[in-house]
Amino acid sequence: MKPVDRQRKVLVLGVGNILLRDEGVGVRVIEALSEGYEFSDGVELLDGGTLGLRLLDPICEAQYVIVVDAVQNGRPPGTVYRLNVEELNRRVAFKNSIHQLDLLETLAYAEILGKRPAVVVVGVEPGDISSWGTELTGAVASKVPELIRCVLDEIEKAGGRWKRRE
Amino acid sequence: MAQRIVVDPITRIEGHLRIEVEVANGKVTNAWSSSTLFRGLEIILKGRDPRDAWLFTQRACGVCTYVHGLASIRCVEDAVGVTAPPNARLIRNLLMGVQILHDHLVHFYHLHALDWVDVVSALQADPVKASQIANQVSPAGKSGPSDFKAVQQRLQKFVDSGQLGLFTNGYWGHPAYKLPPEVNLIATAHYLEALRQQARTARMHAVFGAKNPHLQSLVVGGVSCVADLNPDRISEFLYLWKETKDFIDNVYLPDVLAVAGFYKDWGAIGGTSNFLAYGEFPQGEKEPESLFLPRGAIFKRQLGKVDAVDVDKIVEHVKYSWYEGDKALHPSVGETKPAPSKLDTAKEYSWTKAPRYMDEAMEVGPLARVLVAYGRGHEPTRKLVDDALKQLDVPAEALFSTLGRTAGRAIETKIIADAMEGWIMELVENIKRGENRTFASYEMPQEAAGMGLNDVPRGALGHWIEIKGQKIANYQMVVPSTWNLGPRCAAGKPGPVEEALIGTPIADPKRPVEILRTVHSFDPCIACAVHVIDPRTNEVYKFKVA
Repeated sequence: MKPVDRQRKVLVLGVGNILLRDEGVGVRVIEALSEGYEFSDGVELLDGGTLGLRLLDPICEAQYVIVVDAVQNGRPPGTVYRLNVEELNRRVAFKNSIHQLDLLETLAYAEILGKRPAVVVVGVEPGDISSWGTELTGAVASKVPELIRCVLDEIEKAGGRWKRRE
Repeated sequence: MAQRIVVDPITRIEGHLRIEVEVANGKVTNAWSSSTLFRGLEIILKGRDPRDAWLFTQRACGVCTYVHGLASIRCVEDAVGVTAPPNARLIRNLLMGVQILHDHLVHFYHLHALDWVDVVSALQADPVKASQIANQVSPAGKSGPSDFKAVQQRLQKFVDSGQLGLFTNGYWGHPAYKLPPEVNLIATAHYLEALRQQARTARMHAVFGAKNPHLQSLVVGGVSCVADLNPDRISEFLYLWKETKDFIDNVYLPDVLAVAGFYKDWGAIGGTSNFLAYGEFPQGEKEPESLFLPRGAIFKRQLGKVDAVDVDKIVEHVKYSWYEGDKALHPSVGETKPAPSKLDTAKEYSWTKAPRYMDEAMEVGPLARVLVAYGRGHEPTRKLVDDALKQLDVPAEALFSTLGRTAGRAIETKIIADAMEGWIMELVENIKRGENRTFASYEMPQEAAGMGLNDVPRGALGHWIEIKGQKIANYQMVVPSTWNLGPRCAAGKPGPVEEALIGTPIADPKRPVEILRTVHSFDPCIACAVHVIDPRTNEVYKFKVA
């Protein structure tokens, strides 16, 4: 694995509403990553929650963004996806929040500003994103280790390094 | 020979406060605290609908507005006999929490820090060294040498222009400033960062209160922000809370402890003897048992002995205040009859009345709350206070001081920020299991009386109402700043700030930064204690500060 270019910042961004069960899976993955792992300089984890447009700043500052989120794509709950952002369209509901700008729009703004980074999405088909609750459904919770592995792979591909926390 | 010093007005506060002290042999030997403007909300409220009172009372101030709204709502609810449902209680707790976090952040950085931080000295700092120190103080903070260099450049512009702008009128270069230039630079950088943070923290109020200041979402019997109890809005609140909590944990509390380490002598200056906390954040229907921060009174600094509070033992004296008569009355039968005369520290010298509990002057506010909670064995408080004492290597006695008051404020900010997460989650759990009530109905009685207590950023606040013919017959507010900044009582006992100032060393009577340190540590904000309104015409007086 080659060292991260100091200028090349990798942003791992978990988004979603942690109050709506699987909606918050992106944030849960970020929490698990920051608890269990350490990363080389230039790799940053961010709990993006439902911040919408306010994520524009960290997104524009990064060269490579790994988004973790629930992605509705019509497969069984717990299906893990790796998608280029170009593969996402409106059919793939990238639900963030009905009141706030969703991530696709925020990325479009970054493009207008001429600062759109490369983006990859590590997603999972949710089981339940409409009930109140802070815990994931079983089908999604059981896939968190796999999601973490996917994110770690992506970090490596982007030139970052990681190790387990002692 | 004793020398008199008058500081009028005390700046970097809210409202209009005058402090006069007598200095002999380099120490304050006597002190008088005067509030030189009149309030008069009590008079405005007479004859109005009790349900509207909260909208008026929160106009007592433009800073901690919500608190007077809530005290008033509780007071009317007590009178009409209604208890707001759990969700309303939680929303109110969250809004009160926001108020305290916001006020304390602003107070420490923007109203108080410059008494300890010499911003001009920050120009001499080495940004690389400052970055190293900052990382030791808080590893989570992100402060590179280039960040500090940028702050220095901005500061240099101010100084070069000959205009210090918002930093004007400090006693820069005064020998009482003890921080090394690098620490001054770090604190100045955080002063600027806190300016941005406080704006974001205030947005939490807007989520459930529609706006800040002067929130709109209370009603007698509950709250009206019904449509905001949805996942998007609660999550928005949660994220603003997280950001604020990060700032408190990684910037505010570490800064206070770091700065305090250079000023340990202030752990023996500026103390008072007696403390009163009404307590705050009801976690159930029963009060005071369910209060998260407990209610209690401490006399003569006996931390091990926290008394229950008997509200019948509260009276307000007017002997040294510009009001008719000299009877000390309980607020439920209190009077507001202004009788202005000349300012004379031997006779009458303040628009503030002098509240007393069991005949004693009581300090209220963050330090009182922390001491009462500590004395009652409140776990989070005990841990944070013990940690702070250990880190600073000072005895528990140091809590009774200007330093203790400032550290206590930071400690309680963290305690409340930590607790708020639980209230947010409780709200979520309630909604999840279908508990959606936000209002309880009631009937307005022809005659009733009530009391509403809360403990707000600056201390114990109480509103008392008497209802006749469904209208307000009498209304009295006994506010924290009246407790802390009031004058002497009929027995001649000084108020808490007056007491705290006595014994303070004064290095240079022309630049009495030491007075500011102690007075500011009380977070004086006398807008609620006094207002500029003519009781006959309701006309606002114009006044000029030279």
